[in-house]
Amino acid sequence: MAFEIPKIKYTGKIREVTIGIPPNEVTIGGESCYPFYLFEGDMPYKPRVAFEVWDHEPQEWQSWAVEPFADVIHSPSAWAKKCVESYGAEIIALQLKSADPNGMNRDVEEVVSVVKDVINSVNVPVIVWGTANDEKDTALLRRVAEVCEGKNVAIGPVTEKNYKQIGAMAIGYNQVVLASTPIDVNLAKQLNILLGNLGVKDDKLAVDPTTGGLGYGLEYTYSVIERDRMAALTQEDVKLQYPIVCNLANEVWKTKETKVTKEEDPKMGDEKKRAILMEGVTAMTLLIAGADIVIMRHPDSVALVKEMIKELTA
Amino acid sequence: MLLIGENLNVISKKIGEALKQRDPEPIREMAIKEAKAGMDLIDINLGPARKEGPDLMEWVVNIVQEVVDIPLCLDTTNIEAMEAGLKAYKGKALINSISARPERIEALMPMAKKYNASFIALTLGVEGIPRDANERGLLAAQLIAEAANYGLSEEDMWIDPIVLPINTQQIQVQGCTEFVMMLPEIAPNSKSTCGLSNISNGAPGHLRGILNRTYLIMLKRYGMYSAIVDAFDEELYAIAKGKMPEIENLVYKVMDGEDISYEGLSKKEIDYVKTAKVLLGQTLYSDSWLEL
Repeated sequence: MAFEIPKIKYTGKIREVTIGIPPNEVTIGGESCYPFYLFEGDMPYKPRVAFEVWDHEPQEWQSWAVEPFADVIHSPSAWAKKCVESYGAEIIALQLKSADPNGMNRDVEEVVSVVKDVINSVNVPVIVWGTANDEKDTALLRRVAEVCEGKNVAIGPVTEKNYKQIGAMAIGYNQVVLASTPIDVNLAKQLNILLGNLGVKDDKLAVDPTTGGLGYGLEYTYSVIERDRMAALTQEDVKLQYPIVCNLANEVWKTKETKVTKEEDPKMGDEKKRAILMEGVTAMTLLIAGADIVIMRHPDSVALVKEMIKELTA
Repeated sequence: MLLIGENLNVISKKIGEALKQRDPEPIREMAIKEAKAGMDLIDINLGPARKEGPDLMEWVVNIVQEVVDIPLCLDTTNIEAMEAGLKAYKGKALINSISARPERIEALMPMAKKYNASFIALTLGVEGIPRDANERGLLAAQLIAEAANYGLSEEDMWIDPIVLPINTQQIQVQGCTEFVMMLPEIAPNSKSTCGLSNISNGAPGHLRGILNRTYLIMLKRYGMYSAIVDAFDEELYAIAKGKMPEIENLVYKVMDGEDISYEGLSKKEIDYVKTAKVLLGQTLYSDSWLEL
């Protein structure tokens, strides 16, 4: 008898979710196998990279992070445009950093006007990421859902605390919801159920499992995504069959290891190369766990990750 | 199956206050209520009892043994308080508990011998909570050997596998269940017990009962001798005393991997099936598991 390679028996499939509008809309999900296990099933839409853009000029970025955007970093809309035109961004992830009550705490309407500018300056799909402050996000993301009417944006992080308020607006204005839970598969499932009960359609929901950077909790996120996909694909857990979005850039670039220069610590090696590799490795790891969209910062790390996706899906 | 009432507990607001104020009435009342609810033993849980532990235990034991004549289970981490309780109690007490940590064994096993008490042997070691069935087995074996060294009888040993909450430890719950299956082989002469309500710790309050009851059915099937439970869950009492065989059989079917159609089943029966699937790890836990 000829040897037969054992295969995993899949009983479930990840739902398809589309963000953005024709002709540049992006569909994610649809997997009927573990990530890149193309010998066992299908991955009809390859995973995507979203370029992050901040809603205000960042104050503490490393010069090697600013460099690719130096000419546009003062203007979120110009920055987004450059990501699309010069670096081939297929999705823009607008981070509403300046609204954070622990930071600049900019007023909701001020920030909403930035969102409008960015939305109107690019034709690729947009993810709008709030402050992760439940209260501020409730006010802010509700308005975002409204002003982005007709653009089919993805809005998050939506949590157990504010899912009703933000979820209702997302339903009303036909946006995609990013359900966010703190690295816990049981809580992730619960929030998906709650959003479903609220009326969020299955093709309007994606999951943010909370992302840790390399050396700072990446393995926890990895385990949760892995567990999530096992339940979704092999245990018919319909409430986990949603695409996964990982907001990783800021987690990586805020670490000491991306900031220390070679001059300060020669054994750490070249700072730019090191930071780019750390971001790239974090993203690759999350993709191998099952992420459908990774939100990244540096064009060089993005290039590395895109190459990996290309090779693994060839 | 024997039931040990858990409700005379320092973490209960009413009881906690009564203990603090040394007000005997609420304590008497609770003991009588638990006895009326059919409990076979009453657990007196004083927690760490840091303040006047021995005095407090003696005081409570005397109040309770005055009004009820069912056996008492003395539950405190304070070793002096434990001894005071054993001294005051006229019957054969159950010590709750002796873990596999040297300081607990050295202090409490001689005490069990001296006062001719039974004891709960908690499968908790120096490295903390066991991670699977095998680690529980090792700790149980260690406790059995230690007990023999101290001249304690195996019949007086009630092994506790440590039930963990389903909402955060779903995989570990299966380790606990698996260990209970192995227990008759590991310790054929010993008894067993568990803190059943821990299975539902952290789950929404109104859903705790169904988790407790379903897990009780599963453990009972594998020979669990007793459980520390909410004394006032009447359905749980009925199950423990074998008065709900249809529900038990239904849960057995889920345990045996039978495909169960919800058609023709009542809401209650469906709830038991869904809960059994969660406890067996067939469905991932979420707070809304009954709504799916």
